[in-house]
Amino acid sequence: MPEPYQRRLIDELGTQLMSDMIALAQKLNALAARDDVFEDGARVISQGGVPAPMTAFLAVVDETVLERRLDFAVGDVVVSVIAAGRRLRGMIAVSPAAGDHIDLFGKTLSRQEPAMLDAAFALLTDIFTGAARLTVRSLPAEPFGSGGERGISASGLAEIWQIDISETPLPPMSRFLRVNETAFSAVLLVSAGDILATYGDIAGLQSIWDTQVDAFLRAQESLPNHQDGPKLICLEGALDDGNTAALALAGDDVALMVYDPAKLGALHASWRSIFQ
Amino acid sequence: MVVNELDTLLAASVGCQAIAFADLSTRMILVTDTRSKLPRETLDALCVQAATVLGAHGKIGLGANPSRLALLAEKTSVHLFLRASDEPDDVLCCVCAPDVNVDKLVDEATKCLNRISGG
Repeated sequence: MPEPYQRRLIDELGTQLMSDMIALAQKLNALAARDDVFEDGARVISQGGVPAPMTAFLAVVDETVLERRLDFAVGDVVVSVIAAGRRLRGMIAVSPAAGDHIDLFGKTLSRQEPAMLDAAFALLTDIFTGAARLTVRSLPAEPFGSGGERGISASGLAEIWQIDISETPLPPMSRFLRVNETAFSAVLLVSAGDILATYGDIAGLQSIWDTQVDAFLRAQESLPNHQDGPKLICLEGALDDGNTAALALAGDDVALMVYDPAKLGALHASWRSIFQ
Repeated sequence: MVVNELDTLLAASVGCQAIAFADLSTRMILVTDTRSKLPRETLDALCVQAATVLGAHGKIGLGANPSRLALLAEKTSVHLFLRASDEPDDVLCCVCAPDVNVDKLVDEATKCLNRISGG
């Protein structure tokens, strides 16, 4: 017969095991139910900023039970990490090389090393910010750190990095504005005729909305090559101070923006990833 | 030759399907590239669209000034309209697939328009 302390230990282990099994079953159900998109063999986990790339990153860590190397890619930049037991053990490398973060690679993340956690967060934020698409490849694990170091759980990282992993996806137009906020110096967002939000100096945009948008859209609709559906119209030098203005349309939503002309290509790429 | 410039731009711009050179004062397409062969009514519609988004004949579609550049992106196409700096009625119209590289297209089209307009 086991001693009382042995019985207590067995009970605790049993409870923990059951909890892990339930979590694992939930993850497997979620994996089986979803409709993943793959691109060149990599799973697309964030498209047009949805979900937020950092949220998507933590979700992948959270669903990784067996030890794996995970390669997250934004364009040509790949950040490789080791995850296991729904925990991020540490970071392996960034390609192309990022010299400023060299002390981070190959070391196990720990709550006792807040500077390392800050560096990891800064690195990931730097790579993920403005990402039109984030993909992940799950690869066989490789030797990393020492066996006794487990890293930090995805939920623990969400708490430390203040990431809301249960965030509700934004509507497409709001997502477009959020993802490209650094490109805009002013925004006027209208939905079903009501002004929902403004940002920056909107004097020029307000004038366009009040006096020109209706007539402009009617003129566009009368053209033989008119297409229904979402639109992005960018106009360089249209404002009286020489600034550039853009008009985005989607359903009942109309957004007018003053944008940085150097970001035209990025704006179009982002619009396309969200609305097409 | 303007047509040679348009052909060169079309060949250099992946995703670009047709290029036309228009005069907004008469709302006419003057020259197109030799490959695309768009029907007349499509060209007319393109020219009217260029005038309404860029602004022409003292009428401005959006904003306070006629625009130097207009990009119109829809689900199935991207239209780029570029106005010559010295001849504001001279406009380059590019009809492209939705996945065209906009930055590269603008760069190449600006150089092309400068050569046409300065020639």
